[in-house]
Order: sequence, then C-alpha cells, then structure tokens
Amino acid sequence: MDVYLPIAEVSVNAPLLIGLGMVVGFISGLFGIGGGFLMAPVLVFMGIPPAVAVASQANHVVASSASSVFAYGRKRAVDFRMGAVLAAGGAVGSLIGVEIFRMLRLMGQGDLVVSLSYLIFLGVIGGLMLTESLGSLLRRRRGEPPEVVKDRRPAWLYGLPLKMKFPRSRLYISVIPPVLIGVFVGILSAVMGVGGGFVLVPAMVYLLRMPAGVVVGTSLFQIIITTSLVTILQAGRNQTVDLMLATLLLFGGVIGAQLGARASARFRAEELRVVLAVIVLLVGLQMGLGVFVTPADPFVLAPGMGG
Amino acid sequence: MVFDLPAPPVAVASVSAALTTTKVEVTSDYHGQKIVLYGAVFNLTDRPADVVVVVRGPDQPVRIARKVQVTGLWLNSRPVVFQGAPGFYTVASSRPLSEIADYGTLRRLAIGVDHLAFNTPADGVVETRFGVKDLVVSRLGSDYLDYRRAVVRIKHAAGLYDQNERGVTYVDKGLFRAEIDLPTSAPIGRYQAEIHLFQEGREVQVRQRPLEVRKVGIERTIYLFAHQRPWAYGFLAVLLAIGSGYGASVIFRRS
Repeated sequence: MDVYLPIAEVSVNAPLLIGLGMVVGFISGLFGIGGGFLMAPVLVFMGIPPAVAVASQANHVVASSASSVFAYGRKRAVDFRMGAVLAAGGAVGSLIGVEIFRMLRLMGQGDLVVSLSYLIFLGVIGGLMLTESLGSLLRRRRGEPPEVVKDRRPAWLYGLPLKMKFPRSRLYISVIPPVLIGVFVGILSAVMGVGGGFVLVPAMVYLLRMPAGVVVGTSLFQIIITTSLVTILQAGRNQTVDLMLATLLLFGGVIGAQLGARASARFRAEELRVVLAVIVLLVGLQMGLGVFVTPADPFVLAPGMGG
Repeated sequence: MVFDLPAPPVAVASVSAALTTTKVEVTSDYHGQKIVLYGAVFNLTDRPADVVVVVRGPDQPVRIARKVQVTGLWLNSRPVVFQGAPGFYTVASSRPLSEIADYGTLRRLAIGVDHLAFNTPADGVVETRFGVKDLVVSRLGSDYLDYRRAVVRIKHAAGLYDQNERGVTYVDKGLFRAEIDLPTSAPIGRYQAEIHLFQEGREVQVRQRPLEVRKVGIERTIYLFAHQRPWAYGFLAVLLAIGSGYGASVIFRRS
C-alpha cells in the first residue's frame, strides 16, 4: 500500500514506514536515544530527499521520546532540571549548527561533513562503549568482582562557578559543563540531523557522573526539547517537514517506544550497552565509509536549491 | 507548360493532436501516470513527414558537483548551477532524431536531451573563440560537456529525462499515438506538450498542448499549509507528536 508524500513528493510503502517507525521507536525507548541516526539513513535509502528525511524524522523523534518520557517520568526517572539546562545549551548549539550546515551546503560539502561526522562520532563513541561494556561483561562471566568504579567525581565539575543543585541526580555542580555539552550536542544534531542521544547518554554517564537510573529519561527529555525546536525551525525556514511522513513514522514510533521502555527493565545494563555499541559502530561505518569508496558516478546532485 | 504546374504548396502538411489527460491529479495513491497523446498528420504532399513529440515540465535549477579524490577522501568540488533545466523532459519520435533534422535545427528548437538549452549563467564568461565573437563560454571550459552529460544521465536514471526513438507509433495511416510516462518524482506544475512536424529536415508546423500536474485533496491541503503558514505548521507538527506520545503512554499504562 503505497502513499504519496506531499512535501517529499515521492510515493513510499506506508506499512514499511510504520514498521520502520516502530523498530526505531523500540530502540529509542530501550536505550534513551532519539534514534535519528538510524532513521535518517534508511529514509534516504528509500528515496526521500535528505532535507525532508532529516526534518520529518525530527518530528518522529519528538513523538517517540515524548512517549517514553511520560513513562519514565511516572517512575521518577527524569531529572527535569538537568534536562532543561542541557536543552538551553542545545538550543544555542542548534542555531549555530544550522548556520554552519547552511554554509557547508552552499560550498557543496554538506554530504562530506555528514558522512565524516557519522564516521568519527559514531565510530569513537561506539568503539568506547563496546570496549567498556564488553570488558565489564567478560569480568562478570569470569566471576571476577566488577572493577571498582572510582566514585570520586572529577574536580573540575566542582571547581567551576555557577553551581546549581540537581536533586534528582544527587548532584551539586556548576551549570557550565552541562550547558557546554548541550551546545555541542545541539551543533551535532543540526549537522547530522539527529537528536544527539548517542552523545548525550555517554556524556551524562562518564562526564557528569549522573546516576544510571535518571540518564535515559533525562536524555529523552532533552531530546524532546531540541527536536521540537528543530522541527519548528525546519518547517518555518525550509518547509521540509512532511506531516504525512512524520505521522506514519510516529504512529509506529510511539508504540515501539512504549514496548522498548518496558523491555529495558528485562535486560542488564551491560548487555544493552554492548548491543547499542554494535548498532552505533555499524551505522557509523556504513555512513562514513562511503567517503573512501570510489563513487560509481563521479557527479552528484548537490541539494540546496529548488529540489 | 509552366502554367500547368500547381502553385507552390504553402502548408499542405499539417498536424493536430490531443492529450487524453490534461490534468494529472496527485492524490495519496499517486504512482506517476501514463499520458497518451493522439494525433493525426494531414500530408497532401508526396514528401514524408515526421512527428516529434516533446513534453517539458517546469524549470528546476540543478546544482551538480563532481567528486574528486583528495588524500584518499572523495570530496565534492564546488557545485555548478544549471539554470533553465526542465524538471521533466521527454522526446518521442518514430525514428532517430538525427535522421529527422540536422544538428543545428535540433539545437535551435531544443529538441533532444543533448540540445536542451540549459546553461550556467553565473559562471559564463564572454569571449571570442574560433573567430566567433561574444561566445558565452563556461568557467568549466571543456569540462562543461561532462557536467552537462552528468545532469542528463542523473535525470535519465530518475526517469525524468527520456528520449525514445520508437515513442511515436502509427496506429493507422496518418494517425499516431505517443505515450508519456510521468514518474512520481516528476515536478508539480505546468507542462507543455509540443508536437513538431518535420519535412525534409525543416520544421513545418508546431502545435502546443498544455498539461497540468497538481496536488489535490489532503496532499494539496498539507502542501499549501506547509508553504503558506510554515511556523503554524511546525507548531502543529510538534503538538501532534507530543500528543500522540502522551496518548500512547496513557494507553500502554492501562493495558
């Protein structure tokens, strides 16, 4: 059953889109990431123009993240204050990122920067997560005691001014690190067209040392704010949000996210992280290696005008 | 003797044609459409006549970049903009165009994908070359043809440009038909079907038939909303997303 998308101006299989939304929503609810880094490449592969794919899937990310944040919020697993601080940085970052991306596109280097940032960020984060989580998984298998986690938080978290209390995360730290993380994630999300959860989750765990219980919910809460902003900016400035596409995706997405949030309770954190690391690495390699492969056609249409 | 000769023919060969569809409506189950053109050639001379059907869509500027390898990475070179490239272009004839008319005629009439009159005005420089004055030469120099061919190749692969030497078929003596395949990606807007009649390499007549591709129903509503009130559209999209997220979480909590 194919359906014509009014903004993308292509016709695609509707059940396939709902299914895709559901799978990505499930992964989103399970890991606390937006899932944009998975969705955008698949949509482009299906023939949807990249600008429309990126803008419309941001709206899907809003829906699936909202669906799980309501679930996590009831379990008191969202640090709204931390999320708001991160999102404030994220808003600034995404405005900067949109400008950077616009210039890069005019220079014709949009594709390259997207591919390289996928390769670098997903590769590095996936690699780090994989070694770390495999290591702790193996130690448990061998019956060794888990590595003693240095509970001492780095001094720089405390040495900076503008301290703020984050009761849910049991933190009393400067707002500068979270704001900077937010700015960085905001730039990334504008350039790569993703919510940035795959950067945010490790940053909250390893840099801010937030308790694992609130990381996923807080990450999703921050993602809702930035992706809502991205959706409105994209719709207002570029008219690239396809409501038909977004509706199909989010119909599957909200259901998938609920199932994912439920399933997350049944798995061990390390096992989940191994799976997420493998997914992140694979997508990063798949997207990034294109830059090294000799293209079949040396000419490409550069987006950015008309179609 | 001289007076026995008939008066020189003025326009004794003529063509008329009609499209079976003049409005293509893009709805949610739109899959592209096949459009049939029927026409008749009235040829009172004993010279053979050829029909060439050209369908042009609205112009869409094209930005194209060439990938170049720099230290192992494939990078895009600076994109080149082609103005005046039609968003859809197809030529149908009953034999190869080169047999119907010569290069200069085809080029002047912009018939055939190789003769499409699109250029790169921003990059053009006027100079004298081969003794011809005021010749517009592209910044790309001899690469220009490569870029041009690439535009045609990419558009052809997308089903947007086509040239079919068997596209015009004769159903009966003088009665012909041509089929035009509009792919889903064909742009929205006003199209023009041109029916050219050639005799001995010269164009003797051209007829034009308009064709409109437009969105209707919910597709049109969404499209207009997105373009006329873009900010409200964006807010609505976000509200819809958060609302459905909330809805799903409520439903799943109960179940």
